[in-house]
Amino acid sequence: MDDKYVLLKGNEAIAEAALRAGCRFYAGYPITPQSEILEYMSANMEKNGGVFYQAENEIAGMSMLFGAAAAGARVMSSSSGPGFDLMQEEISYLSSNGIPAVLVNAMRYGTGDGEITAGQDSYWLTTRGGGHGDSRQIVFAPASVDECAQLTYLAFDLAEKYRNVVIILTDGAVSQMIEKCRLPGRKEHDIDQFDWTLSGKPLGAKKNKLNNMTNIIGHSDYQKYLFEKYAEMFENEQRWESLGVEDAELLLVAYGISSRVCKTAVMEGRKKGIKLGLIRPITVWPFPRKAFEKIPDSVKGFVTVEMCVATQLGLDVELTSKGRRALYSYLTGVNIPTAEGILAFCESILSGKQKPTEVF
Amino acid sequence: MTALKKPRSIIQPVSFCAGCGHAIIQRLIAECIEELGLQDQIIACCDIACSEWSLDALDYDFIAGPHGRIAAVATGIKKVRPDKIVYAHAGDGSSYVIGLTETCYAAIRDVPITMIVVNNACLGMTGGQMNLATTLLGDKTSSSPYGRSKDSTGHPVDMLKLIQNLDVQFAARGALFDPRHIEETKRYIKKGFENQVSKKGFSVIEVLSPCPTNWNLSPVDAMKKIREENTKVFPLGIYVDREERGTGCG
Ligand SMILES: Cc1ncc(C[n+]2csc(CCOP(=O)(O)OP(=O)(O)O)c2C)c(N)n1
Ligand code: SF4
Repeated sequence: MDDKYVLLKGNEAIAEAALRAGCRFYAGYPITPQSEILEYMSANMEKNGGVFYQAENEIAGMSMLFGAAAAGARVMSSSSGPGFDLMQEEISYLSSNGIPAVLVNAMRYGTGDGEITAGQDSYWLTTRGGGHGDSRQIVFAPASVDECAQLTYLAFDLAEKYRNVVIILTDGAVSQMIEKCRLPGRKEHDIDQFDWTLSGKPLGAKKNKLNNMTNIIGHSDYQKYLFEKYAEMFENEQRWESLGVEDAELLLVAYGISSRVCKTAVMEGRKKGIKLGLIRPITVWPFPRKAFEKIPDSVKGFVTVEMCVATQLGLDVELTSKGRRALYSYLTGVNIPTAEGILAFCESILSGKQKPTEVF
Repeated sequence: MTALKKPRSIIQPVSFCAGCGHAIIQRLIAECIEELGLQDQIIACCDIACSEWSLDALDYDFIAGPHGRIAAVATGIKKVRPDKIVYAHAGDGSSYVIGLTETCYAAIRDVPITMIVVNNACLGMTGGQMNLATTLLGDKTSSSPYGRSKDSTGHPVDMLKLIQNLDVQFAARGALFDPRHIEETKRYIKKGFENQVSKKGFSVIEVLSPCPTNWNLSPVDAMKKIREENTKVFPLGIYVDREERGTGCG
């Protein structure tokens, strides 16, 4: 890790960290708010001895990535909104073959073409998506530019460790903000490091047939392998940050841009005598259930803060709390939440004026 | 007379239907590879359609791409391992319909891969439905039960004419209905591999290929149909050979 700080955009930090992690293949298609990743790669990938492709569409870009990763390279693609929809097919193929890849979804707001500004309403697609079939993706939700760099760097190692897709889930704010950031050290990746890759081996040598893994190892072994892998990822990869949980009356739950505002709300609230705490998932899949294991009796409810129309994060909180505390969701849609708004919402909960939120 | 020897690369019995052109093509691919001495450096790509039957039959590292995306998958592989020989064996639905974009952009980028497109005038794997690019007008398929009509489905397209305009290394169409044409097809496929060895650009070889199962014809009648009907819409020959600066038919 470099000791000195540099000023970077979230998108640039992700791209630079990927290059430093040994990512040598990028293919993608422009879409706001993540185009700087593609542009950064166009300027720097070849200098690093890698391959950059501006693809004809996201499906083609992801298919190139599928081939490049199968051939052993560390690979990345990035998109947002409708572009991330188009990536689902190949996420499913990557999963069915156990091919590692790191993807970025910089969420923009809304259905259809939506807005190009920040949103958090692709949470379900990203944490529950992955195209058809039963797959799980590790999903990191950085809340700062520094975290964009550190988590992207780590993502490549985890993708290979589990032979799985890892997604960096940012939003139009985190991806665009400029902040200080430390960059991880450079490493090179050996495309012959793993024995499952396509390397063009001589006749008679054991070959790799990258096809649905079911066809190779049989359905029952495959199901066991996948189940155990997902369970292991769930157990080992939960990451979170907690703030003021010990004596909180209400526990905010938020990730990404909303979690930053929540931190301010916790400080401001405490100045006014409203005891708020915060659990900030750093992985949103696996959702950090362990963070909720010791919730003090003082906590009257969980409050998700999300840029959605109807709660999405609330589902994970419900699954975790199993109804032990009421769920409230402060939903700001297209607008980035404000600390004042969060505080006003929490005050109205505490004075009994808010009905618990239903997840549907 | 020399005895016919099975290529060493073929390690399993053929899984295609009886009389299927894919099987001949699989054999031609293996023969060309071995005659050029490339068998120890192959990375093969198939589509998840009927060409996937080759995946276990050939002793090569192999990947089955998402339906239609094979040219993009092969592009990714070739760029990571430029010294290996990368070929794609896919159907005409894959290459010319759902994946036409991927095929054209691999051609436009002039990626040095060898692409073999099996024109069997239908979507074989899923039951022989109409292929928008290659089913002949009037032909009955499981999704054009009254015969393909231009009014609602457009017309078959000679995609090599399109690819011809994309500045590729080599584009040719062969057929399999008699030994002479099989030999000619083999020469085209070999040329496609030679181009890769000498680090030239994108080569595509389309092969008119019978699908007796879905055409409801005997293998012999299926070959006859290709000779008498399909070759009229899809002329055989070399469309582009950048080396010769030649254009044959089209
Ligand atoms: C995205 C997607 N759509 C549809 C299918 C179903 N499907 C599998 S193979 C195929 C058609 C194959 O036809 P072609 O590419 O011509 O190959 P052939 O089987 O004739 O060799 C279809 C439609 C699929 N697997 N994926
Ligand atoms: S369905 Fe047609 S193309 Fe597929 S294996 Fe059978 S004959 Fe060949």
